[in-house]
Amino acid sequence: MSLKTISPRFLIPVGLALAASQGAQAAPPAGQVLASQCAQCHGTNGNGPGFDEVAGKSASELQKDLLEMKRRPVEGIMDRQARGYTDAQIKLIADYLAAHSGSGHDN
Amino acid sequence: MMHTFNRRRFLQLAGMASAISVLPRAFGAAPPARVVVVGGGFGGATVAKYLRMWGGDKVAVTLVDPNPSHIACILSNLVVTGALSMDRITLGYSALEKRGVKVQKGRVMAINYGSGTVSLSDGTALAYDHLVLSPGIDFIPPPEGPWDPNVTPHAWQAGPQTLLLKQQLASMRDRDTFVMTVPKSPYRCPPGPYERACVVADYLKRKKLIFAKVVVLDANPSIQAEPLAFTEAFNFIYKGMIEYVPNATVLAVNSQTRSIQTSAGDWSNVRALNYIPNQRAAAVGPSSSLNRGWPVLNAQGFVPVDPLTYGISGYPNVHVIGDACAVPASEGKAVPKSGHMANAEAKICADAILRSLNGESPDKNITTNSACFSPITSTTASWLSANFNYGDIYDGVGKLKGKGMHRVDLGEAPRTNGDNYQDMFTWAEGLFADSFA
Repeated sequence: MSLKTISPRFLIPVGLALAASQGAQAAPPAGQVLASQCAQCHGTNGNGPGFDEVAGKSASELQKDLLEMKRRPVEGIMDRQARGYTDAQIKLIADYLAAHSGSGHDN
Repeated sequence: MMHTFNRRRFLQLAGMASAISVLPRAFGAAPPARVVVVGGGFGGATVAKYLRMWGGDKVAVTLVDPNPSHIACILSNLVVTGALSMDRITLGYSALEKRGVKVQKGRVMAINYGSGTVSLSDGTALAYDHLVLSPGIDFIPPPEGPWDPNVTPHAWQAGPQTLLLKQQLASMRDRDTFVMTVPKSPYRCPPGPYERACVVADYLKRKKLIFAKVVVLDANPSIQAEPLAFTEAFNFIYKGMIEYVPNATVLAVNSQTRSIQTSAGDWSNVRALNYIPNQRAAAVGPSSSLNRGWPVLNAQGFVPVDPLTYGISGYPNVHVIGDACAVPASEGKAVPKSGHMANAEAKICADAILRSLNGESPDKNITTNSACFSPITSTTASWLSANFNYGDIYDGVGKLKGKGMHRVDLGEAPRTNGDNYQDMFTWAEGLFADSFA
């Protein structure tokens, strides 16, 4: 992904985005509804049960994995699923899941 | 009801209603918005869960379903063959109740869209600020009968139907014929009927009934999902055992004699007749009412929705998700009707409702997907994957026709194997939990 395609909101640190979500009027955290589409197979917020390669990974690891699956020849089902997202969507999903998975809680 | 407005106060304010309705609800200690969800399958359970998870006390969610638990169609073909028990596909609502969802057992008799109330069979009337309808499918009877699904089961809604088909399969002897139909698209679970043909044939093989036959009468011109996996299965794995008949439009069904007439031939007095009828959105009102209770239906009997909110045009606080809805999509790239997709749609719908309650516009950076595993034998499976992104959609000749969920990727497993069979259970466990737990 080239820097030119990154919109300013991607640069908001995740911690700030989470803090903002506590307010009654706040918009949902960026990436929340996109990342919710992973939960059918990886559990709510990536916390299982299901295929368990999400929880505990950093945003950069998740992003790298997804981009690799998107670009390699199709073998497993995730190689197809990764093709369903733009690189910018993958970045949003990776940031959201890294911040929300692995906690043992699903909200 | 948790609503603090009493009737008199409501009437005093009624004149101001049009002004109030445009204000966001979330100011101060506003009462929770009342969301009524009709149908406790994958769509209904997921929307109830995610509304509470994301919306907390901003929403009071009531889930209405006539049954004490949901019996999933997912994996139900393996209950037909005896590989799994009913327990494995029976999903309760207690986890949703722990999340604060009020689960109300009842059958919807009518919806008054004007006053915003849902009437149940026991006389209860539930008032809503947002209504989410996820009732699933009804069956369209054959042109001629007598058809009785309690004699010749469809087993396309899991439960007693599943067990009846299991019993009829178990009664098969050598040289008997199992005849099944594939409904005209769109129907629930595109790979499902072909999967059923495979696991039924596998069952017969393992019972050493090698002269028994499975006849697949497809109302469509070709296999509707995973054509590589199912063509290989029909032509090689089950060669001589499965007979695949395309373009077989059903003309008449006689359940008593287990006979079926189609445009591609007739089959009479077969041992098991698994007639899976054509489908439409399940009724939400009396069968005598206009559109069976829906504000609008498309030519195929499903409910057109806005892909950003799953709202019905002209009824912004009435949403339809799951098998009952028709999502605008590019020609030939329809959004499939499946439990996995119903779950996907439910999250978009929940997010849109919560944004609307906050006075925000719906998110346009949205995707949905379907992923599923289909058993081909008792030890191997295939998979299917489809992804949809909100954006431009096109007609059959590639001309822009508007906005909707455009299919950006589709594909099936490069090969069927044992790893996929194991993955199938991991997939189902994840989907069951994300929807019901």
